[in-house]
Amino acid sequence: MTLISERPGPGAARPYRFPEVIRREGVVAAHLPGQALAVAVLLLDAGAGREPAGREGVGAVVAKALEEGTATRDSAAYALALEGLGAELFTTVDWDSFRVGVQAPAERLPDAVALLAEAVRTPRLDPADVARVRDDEVTALRMDWAEPGPRADAALRADLFGADQRHGRPLHGDPDSVTAVSVDDVVDFHRGWLGQPGTLLVAGDLDRVDIDALGAAVFAGTGAPVADAGGPFPVTPRPERRIILVDRPGSVQSTLRLGHAAPHRSHPDYVPMALAATVLGGAFTSRLNHLIREVRGYTYGIRSEFGQSRRFGRFVVSSAVQTAVTAPALVDTVGEIARTQADGVTEEELAVARSWRAGQLSVELQTSGAIAGALAPLVVRGLPADYPAPRPAALPAAAVDRVSKAAPDHLRAGALTLVVEGDAEKIHSDLAAADLGPVVTV
Amino acid sequence: MSPTGFPWPIEAARLDNGLRVVVSEDRTAPVVAVNLWYDVGSRHEPDGQTGFAHLFEHLMFEGSVHVPKTEHMRLIQGSGGSLNATTNPDRTNYFETVPAEHLELALWLEADRMGGLVPALTQETLDNQRDVVKNERRQRYENVPYGDAWLRLLPLLYPPGHPYHHATIGSMADLNAADLATFQAFHTTYYAPNNAVLSVVGDAPAADVFALADKYFGGVPPRDDIPPAPDGTRPAPVTAPVRETVTAEVPAPRIYLAHRTYPFGSREYDAVTVLATALGNGRGSRLYQRLADGARLAQPDYVSAYGVDLAHAPAPLIVSATARDGVDAAALEAGLAEVVDELADGITAEELDRAKALLATAWWRQVSTVAGRADALSRYATQFGDPARAGERLPAWQAVTLDEVTAVAAEALRPETRVTLSYLPEENA
Repeated sequence: MTLISERPGPGAARPYRFPEVIRREGVVAAHLPGQALAVAVLLLDAGAGREPAGREGVGAVVAKALEEGTATRDSAAYALALEGLGAELFTTVDWDSFRVGVQAPAERLPDAVALLAEAVRTPRLDPADVARVRDDEVTALRMDWAEPGPRADAALRADLFGADQRHGRPLHGDPDSVTAVSVDDVVDFHRGWLGQPGTLLVAGDLDRVDIDALGAAVFAGTGAPVADAGGPFPVTPRPERRIILVDRPGSVQSTLRLGHAAPHRSHPDYVPMALAATVLGGAFTSRLNHLIREVRGYTYGIRSEFGQSRRFGRFVVSSAVQTAVTAPALVDTVGEIARTQADGVTEEELAVARSWRAGQLSVELQTSGAIAGALAPLVVRGLPADYPAPRPAALPAAAVDRVSKAAPDHLRAGALTLVVEGDAEKIHSDLAAADLGPVVTV
Repeated sequence: MSPTGFPWPIEAARLDNGLRVVVSEDRTAPVVAVNLWYDVGSRHEPDGQTGFAHLFEHLMFEGSVHVPKTEHMRLIQGSGGSLNATTNPDRTNYFETVPAEHLELALWLEADRMGGLVPALTQETLDNQRDVVKNERRQRYENVPYGDAWLRLLPLLYPPGHPYHHATIGSMADLNAADLATFQAFHTTYYAPNNAVLSVVGDAPAADVFALADKYFGGVPPRDDIPPAPDGTRPAPVTAPVRETVTAEVPAPRIYLAHRTYPFGSREYDAVTVLATALGNGRGSRLYQRLADGARLAQPDYVSAYGVDLAHAPAPLIVSATARDGVDAAALEAGLAEVVDELADGITAEELDRAKALLATAWWRQVSTVAGRADALSRYATQFGDPARAGERLPAWQAVTLDEVTAVAAEALRPETRVTLSYLPEENA
């Protein structure tokens, strides 16, 4: 047998270029010659941050109610018209935006966008339908909350930001808050937030798609833009580390959500923070996955990241570990965070993280859906019209000293909230004995 | 109607050792996808060795003769690439997408683990990855409501000894019993160049790829006595309906109806694919209109119908619905069965067109990435002997007629051949 023993070096680098971006009267479009499918996404400044207290999740109910018929056709006729084009409406509510999109063969995009506009601007919102959609959403959330994860994440969020803050509550609400949503809440949210023009993101073969016509369809009859949501919240870390134990009797794994508050998305340290989190737990070869999965065998996977939006951010580590090793897995995880905070990253690790994240741009940005998604931050973050399209320009410049400085500046191993969702009876005493902080059971 | 679902060039060659190499050049972006299908899956596993093909897939990332442990991941991610692997009953595949200048690295890594895994395989690695896989089983199947449905459906659909009888993840007992010698033999037996297809799609000329493939894989010896999996093409006919009821910690009653249909790739299975889309995909589907919207028996987010694209035996069609608050399992099951039974009377032309339009979008979405295209080429080369047949699937779906849909519904969805799996919440027990 002959295998080549020597590892080949790279060939000549061929730089990635983001597609040409065109901005025109509320439309931001990327030209993808030859792509069979095209995407249009209406992006509205109507994210979860706009939801009233106690009604968290109303945005998701509105999103679902849009498809329950329009001023001109009932829900079954609407579904057949849209799906007959090969398109389905996809809606997303995140902290900063409410998005409604369609993907279809390029020739069919105008018809699909007209139907999108019909649903967003002129939904029927019949009270009986809205009440049913709300009830279905409550049930769907109960289904979701029966899985491990949502309860742990809610406990972490409340502990980091305070349950009296919108961002201290779950992104899509919980079964109780959605139960409290009334028909009037849904109608009011639609009236207050879905009449703004917003921005239409388009990605596709623009030789086959007339973006002015698309814009005309979605902006017809719209009202004024909405007022800015406000600046970033201050980052207030907890005074000490603690464990919150969320009981899940009979669980064969413990679901871990560890975190602390962190700066918002447009913070000047964004790139070095992201790279530090990548070295720590953002890639398969990162410190956390290496130790907890590849050395210890405690888990199928573990990752860390800074999750950031316009007004706030958090550092979070997520995993699920076998019940019996919950305490040692936590000790090891906190140890790696503390080590990274104290010692920063090595040049070799940083090189991997940097190339990976830079390469990911070209690897991930191949489809019309992914390109449309990459256009959204330009709008959400209010970047100027001549801002260069997404590119890894900042990454190569992030030197090891800058990333190593971001680690102590933005990682706080001593102020972590360690949420453990697992079988309390089996793990409580181990957690209490682990010397990681006081244990609170919820 | 599209004349082909694969409007990109395809070039194919076979190395002297039997490795089939497929190339589809596309210079749109400076990235390249590398995809290897090995024609071995959980259907090859004998009794007592369930889960071995998948556990073996994990071992392929743990180092080979010239690649130290953990280096494989580090080198691919360090070059900006994405990578993964999957195992199913039919096959095992390994894939990465990398910036184009790192193609040679990816080929070197794949060749090294094809030809040089055994000397690097240690007991310590096996023990560690066994623990990782057991955690994967807990996380994906055991610790989530309804997570074990697939594990329960397979043995109900396929008789003992059939290659699809057991699930790919395997049993904890078999995983615990796995020994190093078995895995060394597994590699020697199945990971041969003449049992694999290498597809490369993206920013790389075919001539370069063929030369590089020969350089890195050409020295790996073929194996001439690769044992086939047990023949599952003609399982004993189903003679009576089968049912299983599970009382578990689940938030609502859920019903699965499952049938054996036809092998993936057959004319009949294309009709099943169209039928499943008409039945369960989207708000215009039968299940949504009838059970979620109409009779209000089912939760709208949880109605589904889909075929599992397996090629070596009649593939399953799985239909599922979850009860709304206040609806019991019996009422849901009756409603679901009624909708499925009515399919034997056919669907409308409008339903057919809707299904075909959705399938066309789904197809173009799959082949919009170089990785999706590479996977399709590997699949069609492995299972049908010709990568170019990837272009046939979309036109085949588009050519399905109303009569064909009616025929497969009447034949494959008969109540007397049905598997019914019900989940009941514990408090209802």
